[in-house]
Amino acid sequence: MSGRLIANLVAHGALAPEECAAVESLLGAVKTVPADTELVVDGEAAAECHVLVEGQAFRHKTLPDGRRQIVFFHVPGDMLDLQAAFLPVDYSVSTLTMCRVAPISRTRLAELVAASPRIGRAFWRTSLMEAAIQREWMVGMGRRSAHARVAHLLCEVYLRLQRMDLVQNNRCRFPITQNHLADAVGLSGVHTNRVLQALRASGVIELRSRELIVRDWAGLVAAGEFDAAYLHAPPNGMVVSRPGLSATPPT
Amino acid sequence: MTDLLFRKLHRRDHRLSKEEEQALAAAVSHHVDAEADVDLIKEDQITEQSMLLETGWAYRYASLPDGRRQILSIHVPGDFVDLQSFPLKRMDHTIGTLTRCRFAVFPHERLRRLSETHPHLTRMLWLMTLIDAAILRQWLLGAGQRSALERAAHLLCEVRSRLDVVGGAEGETFELPLTQAELGEVLGISQVHANRVVGRLRNQGLVTWRDERVRILDWARLQELAAFDPTYLALESLER
Repeated sequence: MSGRLIANLVAHGALAPEECAAVESLLGAVKTVPADTELVVDGEAAAECHVLVEGQAFRHKTLPDGRRQIVFFHVPGDMLDLQAAFLPVDYSVSTLTMCRVAPISRTRLAELVAASPRIGRAFWRTSLMEAAIQREWMVGMGRRSAHARVAHLLCEVYLRLQRMDLVQNNRCRFPITQNHLADAVGLSGVHTNRVLQALRASGVIELRSRELIVRDWAGLVAAGEFDAAYLHAPPNGMVVSRPGLSATPPT
Repeated sequence: MTDLLFRKLHRRDHRLSKEEEQALAAAVSHHVDAEADVDLIKEDQITEQSMLLETGWAYRYASLPDGRRQILSIHVPGDFVDLQSFPLKRMDHTIGTLTRCRFAVFPHERLRRLSETHPHLTRMLWLMTLIDAAILRQWLLGAGQRSALERAAHLLCEVRSRLDVVGGAEGETFELPLTQAELGEVLGISQVHANRVVGRLRNQGLVTWRDERVRILDWARLQELAAFDPTYLALESLER
């Protein structure tokens, strides 16, 4: 259940087996949440944070007049709201599909982090990797064309799912609709649709019935001006199916 | 000189102790001075130390292969500019100076020891990086949903609020050492457009903005235009 979270935690520094077990023991009973549910509510103080165990979700912020910006797409293994361990979150998280999420009590997390600085650094790193993704989105919003922004986003979600072993035969589940994409890249639905049509027409991707098929990865990368460095891939590649307990000695 | 950083931390946790203040100060190995407009730490670099801005202004930016730049954050005294390199090591963007700057250097080895002796202090440093991320989310929200004028107004509200924490604003007046080209790189617009936006803020009687000095003439209307709500800056003391 915690395999994908642990894979993220050990990506840049191994944890000892007993540390992985301590993380595992933090997770409360897994809840099933239907699609299109607001799971985390902007500004609400919470006693728990959440790990996405299964499914896909997105993080968003809204202006007082209702304009909505999507700021993150979540894949399994992500902490949805680690910030809630410190202060009320400044965003909402809604599910795209039916999701399974595991709660982590903020008090117990704080105790574990205080007792084990290495586990603390591992969790800290996950929030920094999130920030790195947000910076990359900022670069796109400020400086990339509409076409590149959409292609970049497809690359990112596809690659993050792949690292979690959720891509088979170049296909992955893709519940992100055109409207979600539009709200993530700051374009109108019509404009986003045109960009998707162009990507399809060039034979780079197929996108249908909530599934993304990447026909030409190099082509998609070129269209998105995509360089995966910001995703901070672990030096020896992430092994998701057999997580944790990396061979490198703990530091 | 870690007093401004401590002031920021104390603002978020009034119970931080003198002993914690001293432990933080003792983690500084030395100071570094830098000229204006230099790159200090480059994208892809791996570092063994983190730098706290003591005086001056710094910023982070990313550049695309063809030279287009996007500014990702601007930093005022009391901010760490690269605390993320402590847990994450490799930089995914570049850090440069806007003015002459002085930094306090924290070797990662000392930060690691601090995390063992003072876990709560380390949590507070972690919190600072979460607030940085919240600021960036506001910028994303702005880039996607606010007009350029609203973004500029929001930036002024944000900078002023951040400076207030570290005593960097004199009433309604503060320094903002960004050229119009750099302002464009913050807001994701051209220099010409940035220039127009500043003109509109002036013409609406909201600010004066001259020679890198800003004076806010109508704080309430500026906040309203920006839809500025400072909650994301976590300016209140939090429960432990």
